[in-house]
Amino acid sequence: MLASFDADVFWEALTSSPYWKGALLALELTLVSLAAACVIGFFLALGRSSRFRWVRALVFFYNWIFRATPTLLQLLFIWNALPQLWPVFAESWFKPFLAAFIALALNEAAYMSEIIRAGLLSVDPGQELAGRALGMTRPRILRRIILPQAVRIIIPPTGNEFITLLKLTSLAFVISLHELLTAAQVRAASDFRYPEAYSAALVYYLAIVSVLMVVQAQLEKRFTWSSVGRRRRVAVPAVAHDAR
Amino acid sequence: MNDVVLRAEDVHKSYDGLEVLRGVSMEVGRGEVKVIIGPSGSGKSTLLRCLALLEPVDSGGVYLEADPLSGLREKQLAAHRSEVGMVFQRFNLFQNMTALANVMCGLVEVRRLKKREARERALEFLDRVGLRDKADNYPEELSGGQQQRVAIARALVMRPKAMLFDEPTSALDVELVREVLDVMEGLARDGMTMVVVSHELRFAHHVASSILMMDEGKVIEEAPPDRFFSSPSHERTKRFLALVE
Repeated sequence: MLASFDADVFWEALTSSPYWKGALLALELTLVSLAAACVIGFFLALGRSSRFRWVRALVFFYNWIFRATPTLLQLLFIWNALPQLWPVFAESWFKPFLAAFIALALNEAAYMSEIIRAGLLSVDPGQELAGRALGMTRPRILRRIILPQAVRIIIPPTGNEFITLLKLTSLAFVISLHELLTAAQVRAASDFRYPEAYSAALVYYLAIVSVLMVVQAQLEKRFTWSSVGRRRRVAVPAVAHDAR
Repeated sequence: MNDVVLRAEDVHKSYDGLEVLRGVSMEVGRGEVKVIIGPSGSGKSTLLRCLALLEPVDSGGVYLEADPLSGLREKQLAAHRSEVGMVFQRFNLFQNMTALANVMCGLVEVRRLKKREARERALEFLDRVGLRDKADNYPEELSGGQQQRVAIARALVMRPKAMLFDEPTSALDVELVREVLDVMEGLARDGMTMVVVSHELRFAHHVASSILMMDEGKVIEEAPPDRFFSSPSHERTKRFLALVE
């Protein structure tokens, strides 16, 4: 038996309100950051193949900045340095959640842009050609033909990104956002029951990721173009950057 | 025949300094079928893409029913493209749509028809290529021949003024070629104006109003099938025919 693992303490921590509120906050932050990152990343991806050199240079610069520097540093920069640079950010509306959202969304957008770009490039150019031959305009071709097909390729690595982001939300601990890790730290510090306090947090992370995996499988099925619904395996290069 | 549907006039086209079309003129009258043959790299596909308004020409002009189309802006060009049907070597069916949705796509997205009306018309055209029962299948579930027939229906449903075929059977298994050629012959019989790049010489002999031989970016010979095959005037044509047959 474990020397000192008190199941009651564990259960009490697991069901306490700071934990589930923290987990909810982590999930919310992940979802809104990822959603914003997808939108920004989409335009960054389009910018990468722009006719204009300066647009391409801008996207390159953006991706360089946000991928080459630690996420924690970006978070601290936005929370601590931004208010000193621009007084508007020193006002009370600038809350930890907003700061974390901005930092994570901007950071994640750099990664998503590469994923989305790869997805767009994976679609056979013949698809666009056929759309043009029908008389469709480019935005319409993008929306109706290219994007749906690219999404198929984009989903699996985006699942990875979701998981990475979820874990990155724990960084917001340093800017006093009361997310899941904060809850665990506070709980542990109160009575030094580290195993119980940390295990309870683990359970929440595992639960969220498990739900994600189910949702992802459903989404992948939804974007498989076959009436019999059989799974078509597409080799997707893994994106490894968990050590951000 | 006076009624010219599609005309290319002294078309020049280069890619990265390589001149692919070097002054091509041709026209196709209403109800005519022109078959273009020639070695690879002779500019057949490029000419077809210029006629389909998918590629801007460097100089010269493309005319649809006497309207000049070169120099138009992208948006106007898109509208005109819907008046010319194009069928590709590799079918290029939209992979994310069923056969029916493929055929409906142009009606809904370009012609702005109501879904219900588009559906009815699309089914009618799927029927015409003998694939009504495959309406709900996705392209990857269809054979190459079936995919190409859906692609033909997708172009036809727009009621184009002319149909262009870019080697429509060369990506198909031998036993699937016939079903596609049958559909094309049916179209020709119904009076569709067509330009076909193909090396199916028997098909050409059978349905072509005239056959054009292209080489090195030029049309070097044009003649009705009988004369073209029995007494080609150009040395290059003779050599090419000897190789293909």
